[in-house]
Amino acid sequence: MSAGMSMHASGTEEYQAVFTGATLERLQEILTRYPNRQAALLPALWLVQEARGWISDRNMAEVAELLGLTPAYVKGVVTFYTMYHQHPVGKNFVQVCTTSPCNICGAEDVAMAFLEHTGAKELGATSPDGNWTVIEVECLGACGFATPVMINDDFIESVTPDKVPELVRKYR
Amino acid sequence: MPSLTIDGRALTAGTDQTILEAARAAGLGIPTLCWYPKLPIVGNCRICLVSVAGEPKLLPACATKVTDGMQVTTESHAAVQNRRGVLSLLLERYPADHLRNGGRAEPRNEFERYVMQYGVVPTPTWGRDLPLRTGDERPGDPMIRHDMTTCILCTRCVRACEDIQVVGVLDVGFRGEHAEIVVGADGDPEKAGCTWCGECVRVCPTGAIFEVMPKERFSPQQIRHPERVVRSVCPYCGVGCQVDLHVANNTVARVTSPDIEADTPNQGSTCVKGRFGYDFPQHRDRLTTPLIRRGWEKEGGCWAWKGRRGAERRGGPWKSIEGEGQQTKPGTPPRVTGKKVRQLPLLERIDMDIRDRVATPSSWYEPFREATWDEALELVAQELLRIKQQRGGDALACFSSAKCSNEENYLMMRMFRGALGTNNVDHCTRLCHSTSVAAMQRAINTAAASGSMREIEEACDVIFIAGANTTESHPVFGALIKRAHEKGATLIVADPRRTELAGRADIHLQMQPGTDVALYSAMLHHILTQGLENKEFITTRTHGFEGVREAVRAYDPDRAAKITGVPADTIRRAAELYATGPNTSTLWAMGLTQHAMGTDIVTSLLNLMFACGMIGRWGAAMLPIRGQNNVQGASDVGAIPFVYTDYQPVTDPEVRERFAKTWGVSPESLSLNKGLMVTEVVKPESGIRGMYIMGENPIISDPDIAHAEHWFLQLEFLAVQDLFLTETARYADVVLPGASFAEKTGTFVNTERRIQLAKKAVDSPGQVRGDLEILIDLSNRLGLNAPFKTADDVMREIVRVTPSWAGVTHARLEGAGLQYPVPTPDHPGTRFLFADAFPTADGKATFVPVQYTDPVELPDDAYPFVMNTGRQLYHWHTGTMTRRATGLDAREPTPIVEIHPADAARLGVAEGDLVRLTSRRNSMVTAVRVSDRVARGQVFVPFHFREAAANLLTNPILDPYAKMAELKICAVRIEPVRMPAAV
Repeated sequence: MSAGMSMHASGTEEYQAVFTGATLERLQEILTRYPNRQAALLPALWLVQEARGWISDRNMAEVAELLGLTPAYVKGVVTFYTMYHQHPVGKNFVQVCTTSPCNICGAEDVAMAFLEHTGAKELGATSPDGNWTVIEVECLGACGFATPVMINDDFIESVTPDKVPELVRKYR
Repeated sequence: MPSLTIDGRALTAGTDQTILEAARAAGLGIPTLCWYPKLPIVGNCRICLVSVAGEPKLLPACATKVTDGMQVTTESHAAVQNRRGVLSLLLERYPADHLRNGGRAEPRNEFERYVMQYGVVPTPTWGRDLPLRTGDERPGDPMIRHDMTTCILCTRCVRACEDIQVVGVLDVGFRGEHAEIVVGADGDPEKAGCTWCGECVRVCPTGAIFEVMPKERFSPQQIRHPERVVRSVCPYCGVGCQVDLHVANNTVARVTSPDIEADTPNQGSTCVKGRFGYDFPQHRDRLTTPLIRRGWEKEGGCWAWKGRRGAERRGGPWKSIEGEGQQTKPGTPPRVTGKKVRQLPLLERIDMDIRDRVATPSSWYEPFREATWDEALELVAQELLRIKQQRGGDALACFSSAKCSNEENYLMMRMFRGALGTNNVDHCTRLCHSTSVAAMQRAINTAAASGSMREIEEACDVIFIAGANTTESHPVFGALIKRAHEKGATLIVADPRRTELAGRADIHLQMQPGTDVALYSAMLHHILTQGLENKEFITTRTHGFEGVREAVRAYDPDRAAKITGVPADTIRRAAELYATGPNTSTLWAMGLTQHAMGTDIVTSLLNLMFACGMIGRWGAAMLPIRGQNNVQGASDVGAIPFVYTDYQPVTDPEVRERFAKTWGVSPESLSLNKGLMVTEVVKPESGIRGMYIMGENPIISDPDIAHAEHWFLQLEFLAVQDLFLTETARYADVVLPGASFAEKTGTFVNTERRIQLAKKAVDSPGQVRGDLEILIDLSNRLGLNAPFKTADDVMREIVRVTPSWAGVTHARLEGAGLQYPVPTPDHPGTRFLFADAFPTADGKATFVPVQYTDPVELPDDAYPFVMNTGRQLYHWHTGTMTRRATGLDAREPTPIVEIHPADAARLGVAEGDLVRLTSRRNSMVTAVRVSDRVARGQVFVPFHFREAAANLLTNPILDPYAKMAELKICAVRIEPVRMPAAV
C-alpha cells in the first residue's frame, strides 16, 4: 500500500473509500480478534493512516459507519492521540521528546536542529519538499537516553543536535 | 434498607441509591453540574463532593452508594471549600466579568447560580493565562447554535444525545486544555445524524448550546422571566408530548419540555417539531377576521349569491394543485448548516425570518372580503339549513379535525347529528388508521392501542415494528424504541425502506411494498410448523383459529420469499424471535394501513399476534401508532360516521334515544343510517352539496387531488374553519379564522389512550375566536341548544355519554393525564388492556383468515417505479403549520423525491436535479434526493408540498371495509426535466 497522500480533506470531489479490496480484508481479519467492532477502532485508524498518510474528516465518518460508531466518537479518539495525523504530514515524521528530563538535556535544541536541516519551518509544519514534518511529543519513555527521537517507526536514543544532519541524510 | 443521616436528618434509602438520590428523595439539594437525572453518571465535575463521617476524603454524592449508618454533611466546611475551588477553576475558562460587580448581577444560568451561591469571584478575563474555550458552533443553523466560550465541559449534552436520543452527534474531542465539544467529524450536524431535537439545549447548564429563535426575537430578560409558563400538548404527532409554553408579549417565545423525571408520555423529551415548530401561529398569513366570498350579498334579511355561476363560481387567481405540480421550479438549494458563515452567499447570512415570508400568495385573498362574525356565521347557518331543507341532511357533510380538541370534535359531531340530522361526520382517521380500527373491531371490538409506550422500554423483549418510520414520524417514541434496543431488546423491522430503525434493527424484513399479508402469514406458517404458537392462549382466549391455520398453509417461507423478496431464512428467524418473546410488542403505522387491502394486512398481523398470545401483558402490547395529536380522541368522541362517543353505533335506536335526550332533541331527528366517510364524500356520486371543514386540508391530503379539487369546485356551499387560507379554504364561501393550539384550552388523546389537558397560553390575534366558541355559536344558530361556556362544560357532557371516560374531569387531567378506560371518578386509569378478556360478547378474540393479493397497481414497463408517500421529520402533513415555522421550513424548504443511487445513475440525475414523476393519474415536477433509504425500483415522495403534491399521483382506489385509499403504492415513471430551473 503506497504511503501517497490525498490532499483532499472533503469538499465536492468524489470521496474514495479507504476500506475496499485488500484494506477491507485486513480490517475484517482484525475484527476477528476483538469481541466487538468498537474495539477495532485504533487498528482501523492505523489502516487509514497507512493508506492515506493522515486521517481526514471523511475518513473518520467512513470508519464510524464501518464500526457502528458515531463520527463524533471517532473524532474524539483521533484527536486524543498525537499518533494520528489530522493533517497531511511529510514522508518522514519526526517526533522529538521535549518532556522535562530531555528538555534539561537540550531536547529543544534537537528539535530546532531538525527544523533547520529538514527545511520544515516550524513545529508541526511540513517542509516545502513534502518530505519532513517535525513535532514535539510528551515522554517517549527513554529518560535515561535523552534525547529520544522517533522517525517514522524507528526509535533513536541519545540524539544531540550534531547527530541530526546524519539522521536527516539517512532518511532523505 | 440502609438508614443514614444527611445534614442531621435521619433517612431510609433504597439499597442501590446513591447519596445524591437519597438526598433528592428527601428534598435536600446538593449542587451538581455533570450529573443529570437519567443520564449515565460520570462523576467528573466534583462539585457534588460531600463529607461522610469516618471517610478521610470527600466523596462524590452522585457516584457513592449509601451504606447503613452513613452520616453525610452536604455543606461541611471542607465540602464548601472544595466547591468554591471547583467553581473558580471552571471560571478560569468562562466569560464571567458580569459576575464581578459584588454580586449585583443576575445569574444567567444554572452554573452562574452556583457561582453566586458560593460567593466565588471570577478573575477578570483580561488577566488570564488560558484563552476561552472554542468548539464547533453550528454556524448558520436555524435552530440550535453553540457558543463554546461558555462551555464547562460537563458533557451532559454528549450523554443526552447518546443516551436519551440515541443519536450521538456530539462528543469530546482533543485533550487536556484543548478539549472541546465536537459536532460529528467535521462540524456538520447534518452528516452526524442530528435530528435537531434540542435535547442538548435542554441539559446545557450554561447556555453554551442555545436556541436561536428566542435569542433573536426576545430580550434575555423576557426569556429568563417569561410572563407565564403554561403546560400544553404538542400540536403535532400522536405521541402527545407535554410541552411548556413560555409567553412574552402575548406570543409563545419559547417551548421547553417538562422535567425529565415528570410523569409525561414524552418523559421530558421533545422532537424538533415540538421544540422549534411553535412559531407558525405568529406567521403573518394568520387569518384574523372572517372572510366571505365576494358575490354573497344580503337582501331582505337573507343572503343571496350574486356572483358568477358555473365553473367560475369558486375560481380565483391561482394555479390548481395540478398546475403547480407541472410547473418547473428551482432545484433544491444546498442546506446552509455546517458551513462557516463566511462561506455562505451574502444573502443567506441575513437571517430570514419566515414569519415575514408570505406563504399564502396574496392573490388568494382577492376573491374574498372581510366580514364580521355575525355576517359569517349567519351565512353559514342559513346555507346549511337551506341545503338540509331542500335536499335533506344527508346532502351535508363535515370534516372534523384530529388537530382539534375532544371538546371541539364532540361539538362538531353533536352539531351535525343533532341540528342537521346527518351522520356524515368524519375526519382524517380515514386516511390514517381506519383500516387498523376496522381490523381491530372485527377481531376484538376495540379501536385503540392495548398498551403504553413506556412498556416498550420497561418490559418488552422483542419489538416488532411494521410499516412505521417512528424516528421521523413519532421521533420521541422512536428515541424510546432506540433506548429499549440499546438496553437489549430485540428489534425486528418490516419496512420496504431502510429507515433509521431498520438500519439499527437486528432483523430488517425489507419486503416489496404491499406484500405484508404473505410475510406475516409465512411467519405464522413457520411458527406453526415449529409448534411455537401459544396453544393455551389460542384455546382459552380466541376462536376461529382453524380457519387461519388453513389460510396460512399456502404460505411457507420459501413461497413467501418469492412474493416478498425477503430471504426465507430471515423470515424464519424473525418468526422464531417473535414467537418466543417472551414479551413481544407489535407496533404498526401507515405502512400497513394506507393500502387498498389495509384491513387484511392489519388482520394478518393481528392473527400472528393472537397466535403467539402477544397481547394483554405489560411488555406485550398492541400499538397502532396514531398520527395526529388527537386522531384517537376525535374518533373516541364520535367524529366518525357510524358511531357516537365510545364507539356506540348510530344504528342502535337505544343509543340514539340516549343521545337525543342528552342533547334535548327528538330521537327522530337523529339519523339511524351510517354516514359517509372522508374518501366517499369526495366523489361525484356522494350526493354531498354542502360542506363544513374544520382544520383539514383535503386538497393536499386526499388521493388523486386533481379530481378532489375539481369536486370541491362543484359544491353549493363550503365553509372552512382554519388558521390560514389553505389550498382548500381558497375555494370556500366562508372562511372562519380559528385559534391555534396555544390559544385554547382543551383535551387531547394520545396514541396510548392518554387524555391530556392543554391550556391556553396566549390570546388570539385580531378577531380570531376559539374553535369551541365558534361551534357553540353556530350550534345555537342552527337551533341546537349548546349551553356551554368553556371546554370544561363540554367535557362534563361528554363524560355523561361516554362510559369509558366517566371518571374524567379537567381537574383530574392536570399532570400526567389519564389513560382511559376511567370508569369512575376515583379510577386511576388503565395502563394496559385485555389481561383477562377482550371487550367482545364472549370475551374472546376472533381470528379472521385472510389471503394475499397483489397490490392494485404493480410497476410495469410504462410505469417502472413504485412510489411510496409519507412524512418527513421536519414537516407535517399538508404543511399548513410547518411550512410557516421558521426553523422547520429552513431545514426542508423544497419538495423532493428520494431515489436509490443506482436508479439515479441509470436515469442520469444527481442530487438536486429536477425530475418529472408521472403516474396513471397525473404528473408533477420535483427535485431528486439520492438516498439508499429506498430500495431499487422504489421512490419516496413526502406529501407536504403544494408545489409538488404527492397526492396528485396516488391511487384513489379504496379498501372495501375502511374506505382507505391506496396511498402507499402507485406505479410511476420518472424522467429528467432538462429545462433551466426557474428562479
